[in-house]
Amino acid sequence: MQTKPDRPPEVYWPWQPAAFALAGIIVFIFATFGPPASSSGFISTLKGFLAVIAPEYAAAKQHYQMIPGPGSWLFTFVLGMSIGGFIGGRTFLKPINDIPGLWRERFGSSRVKRYAATFLGGFLILFGSRLAGGCTLGLFISGSTQLALSGIYFGILIFGFAMLTARLMYHRKSQEEN
Amino acid sequence: MSLLLIGLFSGIAFGFVIQRVGATDPDRMGRAHLMYDPDIPRFMLAAVVLSAIGLFGLQAVGVGRTVILPISLVATTLAAIFFGIGWGICGYCPGTTWAAVGEGRIDAIFALLGGMFGAALFAQLHEMLIPLLYSPTNIGPITVSSWFGSNVGGLLIVVGLFSAVIWLIGKFWHEEQ
Repeated sequence: MQTKPDRPPEVYWPWQPAAFALAGIIVFIFATFGPPASSSGFISTLKGFLAVIAPEYAAAKQHYQMIPGPGSWLFTFVLGMSIGGFIGGRTFLKPINDIPGLWRERFGSSRVKRYAATFLGGFLILFGSRLAGGCTLGLFISGSTQLALSGIYFGILIFGFAMLTARLMYHRKSQEEN
Repeated sequence: MSLLLIGLFSGIAFGFVIQRVGATDPDRMGRAHLMYDPDIPRFMLAAVVLSAIGLFGLQAVGVGRTVILPISLVATTLAAIFFGIGWGICGYCPGTTWAAVGEGRIDAIFALLGGMFGAALFAQLHEMLIPLLYSPTNIGPITVSSWFGSNVGGLLIVVGLFSAVIWLIGKFWHEEQ
């Protein structure tokens, strides 16, 4: 059994050309739509479900009034991201793990534990994004591209708190190494 | 209709690139947060630098649409703390979650479901939380350009700052022994 997960970095695109590719897409989005966003896509999706199961509720709530439903760029963009991820995944050399190596080394290979943690993490990132008005893409990347202070400030804090959280979570591993 | 197709196309391209660079891999993201792997943060910051220059060009010829989000001292700070903790726990951000689900990662499906609950809860509490946390300390949509009174100056400051951080990450993030 492997103690360290195998991570052949050469299968990934190097970061410099990938950044050019992503920036090209972002500038294209600014030209054809406006600031790219992805956490709004969650609200669009929910609005689509609510239109079927609870239309009065969705119509009465400000947050659903602010953001268009699934018949919008915001929804087709996140749908497209899944398709892009699918195409990327099907044509990639490195197999995926449902439990990341880093996590398995620290918390074992229980699927329930990992899935509960990603559920909680997903809950927090979306609750935070909706409170701030955007996520890594919609607030940090879009905002900083437009030289917005909100984006830069949000970016500094999310990186800082994610680094702190990762350090606390994976603490035992670093102790073993020392 | 065409805007929907443009959104779909943009999403496919975006999802493909973030998959190829490894941003949808929570193992890589976690290692970035632990200061082992410099490439994902450098990728994100370099994309901002290049996009800012590109957007500046678009604006010079009067193309495109911008929306500057305001900063709320209390709400933006609290939101970033929630977000940072969640990002550290799962290794996904809202955008990468969608691409990672497409890639076939089962843990990303749970992150997406958790995200749906988080978004729904916020939407339920919007009428209470926005007046309580967001509006009182909303200092408006400030840009670095408006601070310095010059668009070129603002761009140079952001490009310089982000480039310096990219350089620092390359210096201080390295593989564990």
